[in-house]
Amino acid sequence: MRIGVDVGGTFTDFVLLDDTSGRTHTYKCLTTPRDPAEAIEQGLRALEAQVPGCISALEEVIHGTTLVINAIIERKGARTGLLTTRGFRDVLELGREIRYAAYDAFAEMPVPLVPRERRLEVNERLRADGSVLVPFDEASARAAIASLRDQQVESVAVCLLNSFENPAHELALKRLLAEELPGVPVSISYEVLPQIREYERTSTTVTNAYVKPLTSRYLLQLTDRLGALGFRGRLFIMLSSGGVTSATTAAEFPVRIIESGPTAAVIAGQYYSRLFDCPEMFCFDMGGTTAKSCLIQDGIAGVVPTFEVGRVQRFQKGSGLTIQVPVVDLMEIGAGGGSIARASKLGTLQVGPDSSGAEPGPICYGRGGTGPTVTDADLLLGYLDPEYFLGGTMRLDVAAARRGVEEHVAGPLGVSFMDAVWGIHDLINETMAAAAKTHIAERGGNPRLVTVAAFGGAGPVHAWGLARKLGAPRLVVPPNAGVGSALGFFTAPRAFDLVRSHKVPFATADLARLEGLFRELEAEGERTLRKAGAEGQIRFTRSVEARFIGQGSETSLPVPEGDFAALDPDTLRALFDATYERLYGRTYPESAVEFVNFCVRASLPVQLLQLPKITTRGTVAAARKGERQAWCGTERAFVPHAVWDRYKLPPDAEIPGPGIFEERESTVIVGTGGRARVDEYGFLWVSLPEEHGNAGED
Amino acid sequence: MPAKIDPITLEILWRRLISIVDESDAAVARTAFSSLLRDAHDYTCMFTDSRGRELAQGTLATPGQSGAMALGIRQLVQALPPDSLHDGDVFITNDPWALAGHLNDVCVLSPIFHRGRTVAFTACILHHSDIGGRVASDNREVFEEGLFIPLVRLYEAGRLNEGVLAMIRANVRTPDQVNGDIRSQIAANHVCARQIVRMLDEYGLSDLDALADEIIGRSEQSIRAAIARAPAGVYRADGVIEQVAGQPDVRICCAVTIDGSDITVDLSGSSPQVHWGGNVVYNFTYAYVHMAIKSIFDPEIPNNEGIAAPIRLIAPEGTVVNCRHPAAVAARMQIGHFITEVIYRALAPALPARVLAGSGGTPATMQMFYGRYRDGRPFHTVLIRGGGMGAGAASDGAGSFIFPANGANTPVEILESDAPLLIECRELLTGSGGAGRHRGALGRREVFRVPDDEHAPQSPVSLAIQSGRFRLPAEGLFGGQPGALAQFLVNGQPGNPYGITRLEPGDVVTMDAAGGGGYGDPRERDPESIARDRREGKVKS
Repeated sequence: MRIGVDVGGTFTDFVLLDDTSGRTHTYKCLTTPRDPAEAIEQGLRALEAQVPGCISALEEVIHGTTLVINAIIERKGARTGLLTTRGFRDVLELGREIRYAAYDAFAEMPVPLVPRERRLEVNERLRADGSVLVPFDEASARAAIASLRDQQVESVAVCLLNSFENPAHELALKRLLAEELPGVPVSISYEVLPQIREYERTSTTVTNAYVKPLTSRYLLQLTDRLGALGFRGRLFIMLSSGGVTSATTAAEFPVRIIESGPTAAVIAGQYYSRLFDCPEMFCFDMGGTTAKSCLIQDGIAGVVPTFEVGRVQRFQKGSGLTIQVPVVDLMEIGAGGGSIARASKLGTLQVGPDSSGAEPGPICYGRGGTGPTVTDADLLLGYLDPEYFLGGTMRLDVAAARRGVEEHVAGPLGVSFMDAVWGIHDLINETMAAAAKTHIAERGGNPRLVTVAAFGGAGPVHAWGLARKLGAPRLVVPPNAGVGSALGFFTAPRAFDLVRSHKVPFATADLARLEGLFRELEAEGERTLRKAGAEGQIRFTRSVEARFIGQGSETSLPVPEGDFAALDPDTLRALFDATYERLYGRTYPESAVEFVNFCVRASLPVQLLQLPKITTRGTVAAARKGERQAWCGTERAFVPHAVWDRYKLPPDAEIPGPGIFEERESTVIVGTGGRARVDEYGFLWVSLPEEHGNAGED
Repeated sequence: MPAKIDPITLEILWRRLISIVDESDAAVARTAFSSLLRDAHDYTCMFTDSRGRELAQGTLATPGQSGAMALGIRQLVQALPPDSLHDGDVFITNDPWALAGHLNDVCVLSPIFHRGRTVAFTACILHHSDIGGRVASDNREVFEEGLFIPLVRLYEAGRLNEGVLAMIRANVRTPDQVNGDIRSQIAANHVCARQIVRMLDEYGLSDLDALADEIIGRSEQSIRAAIARAPAGVYRADGVIEQVAGQPDVRICCAVTIDGSDITVDLSGSSPQVHWGGNVVYNFTYAYVHMAIKSIFDPEIPNNEGIAAPIRLIAPEGTVVNCRHPAAVAARMQIGHFITEVIYRALAPALPARVLAGSGGTPATMQMFYGRYRDGRPFHTVLIRGGGMGAGAASDGAGSFIFPANGANTPVEILESDAPLLIECRELLTGSGGAGRHRGALGRREVFRVPDDEHAPQSPVSLAIQSGRFRLPAEGLFGGQPGALAQFLVNGQPGNPYGITRLEPGDVVTMDAAGGGGYGDPRERDPESIARDRREGKVKS
């Protein structure tokens, strides 16, 4: 038996899986922010009551958490110190010195995680090639460490210039710190991620140090609590890059679990795309505040090398702290059920990115929200049933929602009430579709071939509109769309990603030496996985990042399996040119190319998961709850939609649109011309009509 | 498409246009060769409708380039005979008077075809590190400053014009880098054209012109409404800008008239053009007038031709703010960047919460190092940086930035792997921010060393600088104090920031950027901020 636990901002979700029978049990309770392990204990006790003996039978607990990202956003991390090269303590504060909003003279910048008085310098200096310019001066190092001790730091980051080419001085500092400040956790940039560009590397290392004590503390407490409950299995933590790792590694590199939470949905998507053989799947998880999505190609989600956290202006690129670690290529935009609609100062409709969140929430929740939201529009379009929201536990106020749209949107824009309501729904779909098209195109995918997989409370309500705008042929909604993502915990591979910078031209590269570099990375990956108790054959996937000599950005290339030294340089070059041409339209075979970064993913084979089959045996007709009027975008009118109870639909049921499929946490809309089919696992597959209207007019 | 576009569809299409230009902007960052582009983002992508009216520009556009392009591209496009254009044509020019005011800003311009007709133009200006010539601020004529490329076809219906490329390559020091950067401009235009055509197809549109009318019209209404809310009147300020030793300082006289929703900026009375590279062409002056007006009145709406409609600029020909050919213009930012500050100062009494005190990043500082490695290979690298931002009514100066222009620093680790130089420090200068109720941000120091060991380059290494604030600091507002001055030292002695400095192995160059001016009386500063400044070593104790 295994259990997946996802600690989110509001709720902690549990899925218990019996691998032999494929049966799952779920549980949901409020997150306990002060001590998240408390909610976990509560959930496990509840599941133990449902399935007696399950805790002692558990082999694995797989855990995703927003603990780390919240600590950064709320600035609740450790009192951290930074040791760096003489002359460079302000690198962290200077950042890249670009104003992210060119015409805004008042744009705020994020405050560094380590204030100036705790950023101290050591006499030492490496050249760009890693050779020593100024030898490491131990006396200056001890003096700096003494100052950190006086300032009572709880965690230390070390980032020296050019150390990605030579770790000797950082390692020397690590030894001194162990001597002088025993018990204080240390993060050195060479171990966190040895990549060129000092600001990005320092910021990443500092962030790691900042959250290290609280992450270790939390994971230790959690291990104890689980033990006390009778758990004898292993604890794994979800990584931002889509693998899982041991609690020990997560405690050492907490900067790698920042996106731990949202990654599970992507991993679930990866699994579904393989299981159902969908070569291109677009996972789309829409909640109250944001929509997160990801393209999965041939069963694999992309991984990118850098992202930002704690943006001063939430959706403004460049206004956050830069983190340079591998992270699943998630696109997050400010589009959720709570996104607020209004007339912009330009006299156009604006929806989001600001959201009314869960509190006060949409107007129709009746909790004091006054701005009309996407959920209010969904209600007014007939997509949501005011009497069956969250399974009927919450009544929605239709009249108040109507007044909100009249007053804040239809009136000020001078459009009809229904144009306004439909406009809100349609614009948020368009916002998502425009971002999705760019995201898909940039990764070489084709929006007209993707299968849209919808998750989250609002995802299934908007999936039809989104799929139409993309021109996608079909969409799929797993059962319990709110919990469906948690299945990702069971299918994530045990994996760890490693990167090292080393600049060398293709033409003169000593491929045998590069093979040696790859092997070092692989050995390190193997050690990390074995430390986490991995058994069996470890798989290594290699890639390189290369560029024209003199270029500033790299293009990522997969490396064929086998001995790097045996590769034909012309094959590598052809691979580069083909990739470059696909991305930028032209390539330049006469210009020289160089390697910059070498990347390895070490992973164990994915443990197979038997999805539970549904056992519903009734007739299709028995699942029909009735009929209601809901808006049809193509006809621009209310038309009757059949309403279905998803829990009662038997396998192989086939239902033509328009229809509404309800379950407790969400509602699936299928428009006119669509066709829904239920498979043996209870997934709803919806095919779209071929002649998709084009976005603006439907 | 209906004649008048409804407000909902309009928003949908407008967002799409901005995401297209941002995608082509990202293509430059990923493909460019010189660190000035890939790391420092000194470039701007934009596109226009079929008549050359600017519709959208990259979110990270550089205000000097983007403001000048809005005027310049329209003039270029309207002068091209429509039936002379072919799908696959790519034009190139760096005419300072036509576009962004100096030869290094090279523009690549392409018509976008849809169903056999020109529906749009996409343009990308990159600040090329190297355009040949004598790299210094004290040239007398533009002829000394490098290669001048009038508007010519680099590609004709998709075929490369080899002669043009050979001409460019023969006139620059680092032909491969220049060629690589031109390629990245072509890649950006390619991405832009592909996405615009895709959008037109998807929405069944035949062109962008009706959409342009709506976008431009609504943007104009928005900024006019903001201007109309400001108190009408004539507001004046003068700016004094230091120049080459031994020459009188440059004066910019500015009268801003707010009359209903119209705003006129009259620079009559400003100094005549100068005999060095600080001269500003009309378009570049206009760009920083535009920056001032947009940042004061309507910073958040997307930029396009509509923003320009209420603005009228008077800049007499032959003055330093509207120089005549063949004036030297390479260092035009040393004067041009001050125009925004002078307008801020003029409008400060009327709109005290919408302006900043003087910034240490006005003007931007640019340092060009060039020479040869020991093995004879050439190197040529350009660094840009700002100084302490001025404080405002609501907060301290935000940090070390270029303002009103924009751009990022080059990482130390990148510079050292691109050039045979060492950086000994890059740090904030304690006490350099002007005191005030809100403190100006600190300037920063950067120290360069030319190695004299086995990594030494050939002698000499040339250094050319464009900068300012060596004698006249960034002033405070409403009782705030000025920020600290900038310094340029060679081996500890003041150097000449206007000419070329020849460095030998072992030489050390110190560049101190100026601090920002304070805002409001320093005695009104809150005790908590004072304590934090002391703790962090941001003020002298």
